[in-house]
Amino acid sequence: MFSKYSQNVRIGFFLATKSLRRANPWTTGLIIFVMVLTFLNLVVVSGILVGLIEGSIREWHEKFTGDVIISALDDKKYIENSPNLIALVSGFPEIEAVSPRYSEGAVLEANYKTKKETEKPNTAGVQIFGIDPESENNVTGLAAAVTEGEYLSPDDYDEVIIGQFLLSQYVPVEDPNFAALHDVGVGTKIRMTVGSVTREVTVKGIIKSKVDALTRNVFMVDSQFRSMIGRTDGNVDQIAVLLKDGADPVSVREKLKRSGVERFAKVQTYADAQPKFLKDIINTFNMLGAAFSSIGLVVASITIFIVVFINAITRRKFIGIMKGIGIEGSAIRLSYVFQSIFYALVGSIIGLVIVYGFLIPLIDAHPINFPFSDGILVAPLPQTFFRIGLLVFATVIAGFIPAWMIIRKNTLDSILGRN
Amino acid sequence: MIETKKLVKSFRDGEVFTEVLRGIDFRLESGEYAAIMGRSGAGKSTFLYQISLLDQPTSGEILINGRNTEKMTESEQTRYRLAHFGYVFQDYALLPELSATENVMLPLLMRGLTGKSARAQAEQSLARLGLKKRLHNIPSHLSGGEQQRVSIARAIAHHPKILFADEPTANLDSESSNTIMDIFAELHKEKQTIIMITHELEYAKRAERIITIDDGKIISDKRNSSK
Repeated sequence: MFSKYSQNVRIGFFLATKSLRRANPWTTGLIIFVMVLTFLNLVVVSGILVGLIEGSIREWHEKFTGDVIISALDDKKYIENSPNLIALVSGFPEIEAVSPRYSEGAVLEANYKTKKETEKPNTAGVQIFGIDPESENNVTGLAAAVTEGEYLSPDDYDEVIIGQFLLSQYVPVEDPNFAALHDVGVGTKIRMTVGSVTREVTVKGIIKSKVDALTRNVFMVDSQFRSMIGRTDGNVDQIAVLLKDGADPVSVREKLKRSGVERFAKVQTYADAQPKFLKDIINTFNMLGAAFSSIGLVVASITIFIVVFINAITRRKFIGIMKGIGIEGSAIRLSYVFQSIFYALVGSIIGLVIVYGFLIPLIDAHPINFPFSDGILVAPLPQTFFRIGLLVFATVIAGFIPAWMIIRKNTLDSILGRN
Repeated sequence: MIETKKLVKSFRDGEVFTEVLRGIDFRLESGEYAAIMGRSGAGKSTFLYQISLLDQPTSGEILINGRNTEKMTESEQTRYRLAHFGYVFQDYALLPELSATENVMLPLLMRGLTGKSARAQAEQSLARLGLKKRLHNIPSHLSGGEQQRVSIARAIAHHPKILFADEPTANLDSESSNTIMDIFAELHKEKQTIIMITHELEYAKRAERIITIDDGKIISDKRNSSK
């Protein structure tokens, strides 16, 4: 009626279900608990490591580049034909908002009124962004990053908002590579030099963020900045583009390229614009996570090995009896394999619920506060299922080996308890 | 049906070499009920293990239905035991996590019966041994006599050709022992071949043959005149 193999599977399953049903619930609970911890170790450790960088990338994406960033060609100073380009982009149905930006290197100087002749000037090199406050806020929500003072208004005159790490009081450790201004806060006047033009401006607000492009730079109203850099043709340096929910940045990028934008500008999605080192760090952290996880996997395998070994050795007499009355050794081995699979699967299912039902939503809502990013938990489902597969495979092997060791012993020796 | 020729079983423990069975010639026909007696250490259990294919003899031949078992692999022996033998052990040997029905079902499932048929056959076998109300009890919730009856139900559920019983009454009180002996007598009436080891002459007398083993040899093989 059944082939020998399916017969053994059937008996193995029968024995496993009966064993599990009548097992000590505390023991079963403890084994499953170890499996849950192993699953969490497998998924969460590398998930947090990668999430640390993904959090940084997400901030960079949401708070600076937008979904698509259009910038000047490498051999051009700015985006030529910008007004037409902005009009074209704004007309795409996928586009929610655009923020054209002017950008130029500048030197800031503070305390110039009180400086003695012998003293070194208190200066810092920065990038100044000229923005339309409303458009920029629509794309990146910059206003929310201004935590001291106020955000820019379109009619502001000679006022700037400044990144926190340009101000010494916010720099935890002085970095010789990044000069900071001393005694500057909201309302302080500073001097700003772009090329040969110097202007005195007032700090209207301070930007606090984990995005370097915000915390180490200065923003002012575009009309003011245009007059400083003497650009009157409306050509900008960057256009940050926010897409509507569900729109795909890659397809918008391709659509822009097909529209001929590439002749005037470089079109990148936020992912294209990521610095390469971030991608390298993600790969490195993935490897580190895998290394840590494999230790957990070994611990779980040893746990299952010990549990099955002890179970099989204490039941050696019954194993002998089963063989004696005609139950195949492979059916008995399979019963241990099924029990191991049960532990690994139940542990993984509980782990899945914890990770996807609790940890990810929790950490998304309250990201982990790392110094350079708001860390999230990254656990793509295909990767998680691959790890569940690994866990099940490891436990199957760990369950099979001790069962095989005990079951292969002589039937009569097992029945009589002889060595 | 079962025949042994010059059956020898010896054990070696370091330098010590012990010959437990010393060339036993034996024959049991189909439908016979034989009791094997002997003092402790005489070799009766060892003899039972050899002829029931639970162990390998050191030398000699075992023929079952004319087939020499010497060249059977372990797996073949397992299948043979499943197909043709039933076992009743002294300590019942029931699986503690299985109910009475499940214990009896196990070899039936292994023989390829569906779950439903196996259950029905197991329940029928248990009912026959007066355990209809104990079908779902696990062994620890049964008395010694009940456990042994479950063990017998398991041994006979698949209608084995030979039933081997290794001191089936050793752990039971006299009332339970008599019940077990009555069951064996009834099975024998149905032409079940039975080989039973016992220390009790009273129970051995219920078999049709009484074989006595001493010092690894059959020293007497008598037909029970009352049978």
